[in-house]
Amino acid sequence: MSDHPLAGTFSVEASARRIRNYRYAEERMMRTLGGWIALTPELAPKLLFGRHVWDCAQHADLWGRRLPELRAPAQQSEPAKPEFVQFMDLVDGREARHQTVERVVGVYRVLKPHLVATYHAHLAAANPVYEPPTRRILERCLAEERRHVAAATVVLERLLDGDARRRAGEWQTRLLAALAASGGVTGDTPTPLLATDVSGTDGSGDLVAAPASFDPNVITADLRPILEDHCRALIAGDVTRLGDHVADERRAAVLAVYDGLATVRACEIAAQAKIGAHRLIKVRLVGPGGVSVLQLQWQKRAGGWRVVDAELVRVEPAA
Amino acid sequence: MERPIAYDKLAREERFVRKRARDIAELRMAQGLSPMADLASRESIRERVHGILVGELQAMEGAGRTVCDFPEAPWEFTMDMARQVWDESRHVEIYLGLLEYLGGYVGEFAESTILWRCACAEDAAARVAGVNRGLEGLACDVFNQLIHIARKIGDPLIERAVDFVLADEITHVRMGSRWLNELTKGDPDRRRRAIEFQETIDERFNLGGVRLDGAHEEVGISIAKEARRLAGFTDEEIDKLVRSTQRSPVY
Repeated sequence: MSDHPLAGTFSVEASARRIRNYRYAEERMMRTLGGWIALTPELAPKLLFGRHVWDCAQHADLWGRRLPELRAPAQQSEPAKPEFVQFMDLVDGREARHQTVERVVGVYRVLKPHLVATYHAHLAAANPVYEPPTRRILERCLAEERRHVAAATVVLERLLDGDARRRAGEWQTRLLAALAASGGVTGDTPTPLLATDVSGTDGSGDLVAAPASFDPNVITADLRPILEDHCRALIAGDVTRLGDHVADERRAAVLAVYDGLATVRACEIAAQAKIGAHRLIKVRLVGPGGVSVLQLQWQKRAGGWRVVDAELVRVEPAA
Repeated sequence: MERPIAYDKLAREERFVRKRARDIAELRMAQGLSPMADLASRESIRERVHGILVGELQAMEGAGRTVCDFPEAPWEFTMDMARQVWDESRHVEIYLGLLEYLGGYVGEFAESTILWRCACAEDAAARVAGVNRGLEGLACDVFNQLIHIARKIGDPLIERAVDFVLADEITHVRMGSRWLNELTKGDPDRRRRAIEFQETIDERFNLGGVRLDGAHEEVGISIAKEARRLAGFTDEEIDKLVRSTQRSPVY
């Protein structure tokens, strides 16, 4: 390629095609993030996705508006290859409650770093004399995608406890293979570019300081001892002691809920909510068969706090 | 990705405790309390703020699902819904801050998912009618009253923060009115069903006489007529809502 200032890498048609490819990725990512918000339990990634849906929408919109200036219909998305659609299907298929790590890895460790690298390479190649409209969009998208990756790095690090780091690594490897098979967002890169290093980029503006997890000390001093004894009785399977903690008229109904519980090895108090003077206490029961979450309603009576209702709200079988 | 999702898939951290709205209201009333927290004390303001916080979370989640669930909808509609997701995420941040400011903690009060259930309507027109006009209209009422109470008790922090949220909500109602019209253009049956859906939501959120046309200090939730006019509700629609509050024995 000549080094003349008017030399260029991309034709008008090639530029429009690339922009349709970018728009496909940004639009699809926007819809994926939007859908995941409700499916993600943890507050920090939930709010991170909420922050970034609008940025992705604006990127897709900017690319879509650029198209008519390149003799192409406005607001059209086009995947470069069916294999890139398969890659995106793989990314957005991780929608189970316990797959937040995979969701964050898919978008923020693979897809967005790939877009950062691709936008960067495009910007380096786009002619500064006749392609400034494209360059301006690239510059904006680059800055924002880098910021997203930087913010997500903080969020992901906090999610990587226990087995999660291994899962994250395995999922990233699988996605990178699928991305390579697709030739990347533009379909023409045998080894898709990836820019995971965003050091120097400040992502803090995209982070919401999620309050610390539940503090059992908020439970009043007179409820705490009987609640802890109740937990011990659940672990021991001591029906008599459990029954002693339940209001007389509710004993049969509450014990019937406990009757269906699997073996319990540990009991963690996970939440307390108030409804007037009643307390709804959530306990997480862990056993060899998995996790059960019980919601207990406590009421203060003449003889002290008593369970007046119990509900098994979730069961998660062991992996 | 599954589209749309079942409403029981709404995911929460363990610290949130979920309970049916009806059960919460009944349990409160059994203790001699109003069906929902009033604004008479700092404690009850905190409970109201917690209720708004989970409402904003569900609004963000609902708008996110709308972005995801309707890829064939007009692009500008998607843009409006994506913008709303961002707005609601900021509202969550604001109410997290207000909850902390008021000495509360996340999960301190039970969460009902009634708002989220409304956001799971299968038709996009019903969603914007029900959520943007019905529920965001309710938000205008609630926030307008909270701003008034904050001003009265001399709390500029609550007053200023909630005033910005109210401005956003008015914008969301306008979006709802626009898209209700555009999505149902040439399809009167679809429009009728969407409006009926909104009316059932309005009726439900009258909360058995909690929402009324009255002074901020005298009713549980006062109808924000001026904010509603700004949001594009007609006087006829506002009058209809006021009439519906006079015959809403259920919550």
